[in-house]
Amino acid sequence: MSVILGVSGLYHDAAAALVVDGAIAIAIQEERLSRVKNDPSLPLRAIQASMEYAKITPADIDSVVFYEDPFAKLERTLVSTVRSFPRGRRHFSSAMEAQLGRKMWALDAIAEAVGVDRSRVTFTQHHRSHAVSAYYTSGYDDAAVLTVDGVGEEACTALWHGEAADLRLLAEQRYPHSLGMFYAAFTAYCGFRVNEGEQKLMGLSAYGVPRYRDEIDRTITIGADGSIELCLDYFDGFNDVELGFGPKLEALLGPRRAPGQPWTLEEAADRRFADVAATVQALTEEAILAMAREAKRRTGATALCLAGGVALNAVANARLTEVFERVYVHPAAGDAGGALGAALDAAGGSARSKLRSAALGLPVDAAEASSLARTLGLEVRRVADPAALVAEQLARGRVVAFVAGRDEWGPRALGQRSLLAPAGPAEVRAELHRTVKEREPFRPFAPAALAERAGELFDEVHEPTARFMTSVCRLKAVDPRLGAVVHVDGTARVQAVYEDSAPDLHRVLRSLHDSHGVDAILNTSLNAVGEPLCSTAMDAIAFYLAHPVDALVVEDLLITRDLGRT
Amino acid sequence: MRLFSRLRTVRQLLAHFAARERAMLLPLFVILLLAGVLLALTTGLAKVAPFVYTIF
Repeated sequence: MSVILGVSGLYHDAAAALVVDGAIAIAIQEERLSRVKNDPSLPLRAIQASMEYAKITPADIDSVVFYEDPFAKLERTLVSTVRSFPRGRRHFSSAMEAQLGRKMWALDAIAEAVGVDRSRVTFTQHHRSHAVSAYYTSGYDDAAVLTVDGVGEEACTALWHGEAADLRLLAEQRYPHSLGMFYAAFTAYCGFRVNEGEQKLMGLSAYGVPRYRDEIDRTITIGADGSIELCLDYFDGFNDVELGFGPKLEALLGPRRAPGQPWTLEEAADRRFADVAATVQALTEEAILAMAREAKRRTGATALCLAGGVALNAVANARLTEVFERVYVHPAAGDAGGALGAALDAAGGSARSKLRSAALGLPVDAAEASSLARTLGLEVRRVADPAALVAEQLARGRVVAFVAGRDEWGPRALGQRSLLAPAGPAEVRAELHRTVKEREPFRPFAPAALAERAGELFDEVHEPTARFMTSVCRLKAVDPRLGAVVHVDGTARVQAVYEDSAPDLHRVLRSLHDSHGVDAILNTSLNAVGEPLCSTAMDAIAFYLAHPVDALVVEDLLITRDLGRT
Repeated sequence: MRLFSRLRTVRQLLAHFAARERAMLLPLFVILLLAGVLLALTTGLAKVAPFVYTIF
């Protein structure tokens, strides 16, 4: 038996993944267990939980692979800090403390946590981890692979060519000219938190007009070959790790938006930020398209695989089919996915296999849910056909917390830890924003549709991206049945639900279609404000108790405050 | 055992910086390694780092 443990962590999105005999046994993000969103620590809980789930002891593990080279990362941090002297003075002590105090010893800490000899702990390269996570799980035999994120060791963007078991690096763009850091800087400029608010910037962009093109063109040059060059003056050499930009950018565009202020897009002040977001999004799409064209030119492939934090930009991903016939984005495209990529890389080319479901995490324990719910005074009923019951609830306009099977790998709720609601009434969206998600009113909700029916509602529904909700599709025609799930620009981040990707949710949608003629529902993540996606029965019950949700369904259990209502 | 394991890390780090194209970084790295040792001895670099910084 061959057992390889992949680990990512010590920056953000810590995760662990076990590959046993070339197959993915389990992959978990640390945040699901620690309950710290985007947990940046070493994934000690995830490692232990993975080993317990797969019944693996330390003696069974052949190798443990960290997703990046800690020594190359130390070198880059050191050199860039010295280069930015004297501006980087404030950053120096904290960066060196992090590098010399923790990150340099990552491999030792992992060996001690797993309980294996240090000689069995190795590392690979950051962008190679991303590239493998995408290519090896794509099911393609010949594909261009783009990895685009903030920064790994030194590379910020890399182009690869995957041919059968061979994955070769063709070109890379090095720090500090990073598309990910460009996007992150404007995320901070618009008042959102870096590494978390990029999706908000993308959602906001649909409300704006890209009228800051002349100004923002001064900050970035996009080459025809997809290379980019940042004018570092505007980003203050990335010395401010919280912001990523400097006073010169504010002089160019006006003062930044204070974080945490309520949004009123009817007012000019906030519309300015929507226009900045629209301009940045347009430039980002232009850069990614240029990279894709270069990838096509150099590889001749008809398929593209994508990973890295920038690959979570679903709006940009939708445009990639202008260049490639097939596009696949790994569901955990951020750094968490690096853990799986590192493990698969060590397992070798024979570990290539199309990923059909993102349900790679820990299963929910229905017995625990029942016991806990009863202890807390909730009513619990076992139902013969939970899919029909959930469909009936949704048809009656109810909101249902839906927990089934193993939790999702990656940031999207894909029918294992989902909050489901009717897709039609626009007031559902406002109500969910106000009472459950408590988030910015411009952020869209996503639809989940039967895979076999999604193409009738939306244009350009492509299986590899729609399966994992990594791209957007345009609504075919204005449809009142989809009022709560279509963004202001007429697009939606559609999840096409397949029987082999989310069987329980597929049954719900099938039942809705057969009994009520409904083909799509609203599917949003089952998590409270600022928390990661729920994982365990306890997480789900805690969510249910704290929010005005009509019912909680855990496997075949219906849990409510009052069974009489259902 | 733990010390032995950490020596492996130090050896890998030295090997990384000893590569020809990085040889010029070696003095910088040695000073930083000393800072790392100080960190281990003082349980925190916050007080040490500013002094290291002045060297550059």
